[in-house]
Amino acid sequence: MAGSTQSNGGATTDGGASRVRTIIVAGQSSQRTREVLRVLRGVGSVIWPRSLEAALEWTSAADVACLVIADDLREEPQDDFLQEARELHRNLPIFVITDPDDMAEAVSAMRHGATAVIEIPPSYAALREEVARALQ
Amino acid sequence: MKELPPTVFVVDDDDAVRDSLRLLLKSAGITCDVYGSAQDFLSHYDAAQAGCLVLDVRMPGMSGLEMQQQLNLRGAMLPVIFITGHGDIPMAVEAMQHGAFDFLQKPFRDQELLDRVQRALARDAENRARLRHTDRIRERLATLSPREREVLDLVTQGKANKMVAGDLGVSQRTVEIHRAHVMQKMEAGSLAELVRMMMAVAPGP
Repeated sequence: MAGSTQSNGGATTDGGASRVRTIIVAGQSSQRTREVLRVLRGVGSVIWPRSLEAALEWTSAADVACLVIADDLREEPQDDFLQEARELHRNLPIFVITDPDDMAEAVSAMRHGATAVIEIPPSYAALREEVARALQ
Repeated sequence: MKELPPTVFVVDDDDAVRDSLRLLLKSAGITCDVYGSAQDFLSHYDAAQAGCLVLDVRMPGMSGLEMQQQLNLRGAMLPVIFITGHGDIPMAVEAMQHGAFDFLQKPFRDQELLDRVQRALARDAENRARLRHTDRIRERLATLSPREREVLDLVTQGKANKMVAGDLGVSQRTVEIHRAHVMQKMEAGSLAELVRMMMAVAPGP
């Protein structure tokens, strides 16, 4: 599976055994994706696939805590990708990052299966909280 | 009892908004009822009435989001389209997480609202048809004897008559007779149809 790893953390104990859960951040090499990666540094183990295909593959990996769609990957409309990810993984938390005040995109993302939509900037704390909750 | 046409319920504390929405919906041939407050709507709410809600977020007294929660507690299935002049993304996300059908910021184009209302009415019709279908299946299930119900559960798990007979400690012939009764009472033409019926009434994950 294509993708780079960023940081470690998010280790949880389950019956005495320690395991690391993974946060998938899907996005291009854009300013917003880099901001999201910076915000999540230290929160958990991050995988950063640069294509939708790779992102979907990663969602099937064991111990994935959540998927963060940081940016439009431009291979297909985001709503279609969201719907596909949701159909594959009914209970996976999926967070979509939008530009501030992009209400139409936010509502559309929610309709297509996002768990929450977070504006970056300014909701850095909200992103950390949502992802930390998904890691628990 | 005569069934009322699907109705768009508009709940907004602003007289001008209510009037303009009433005229707009009427011009499109859509039946509508308007209410000036959440309390007023809730006191008239009839779960059997098909339609959808166009609901203002910010109102004195009970807000639109609070009213949505009240409706959720009552198990209401009316699709809700929120409209607001002061919305932000966290508010829209909260409304959608609680099951809103759509969230629209004022000012909006007339056609934009009409399109969403039509989609919401179609969704409500689908939901009600699905509910009628599952109600019919449950009614048929209630006519089965305890033994027929056991046979139904086992055959829809994919077990052959011989295995069902073994599980229940009866003859294969007895299972065949029960199975024929089940098919007849459930009005199922095939085992596949029977399985689909059971999936339709199975509790969600």
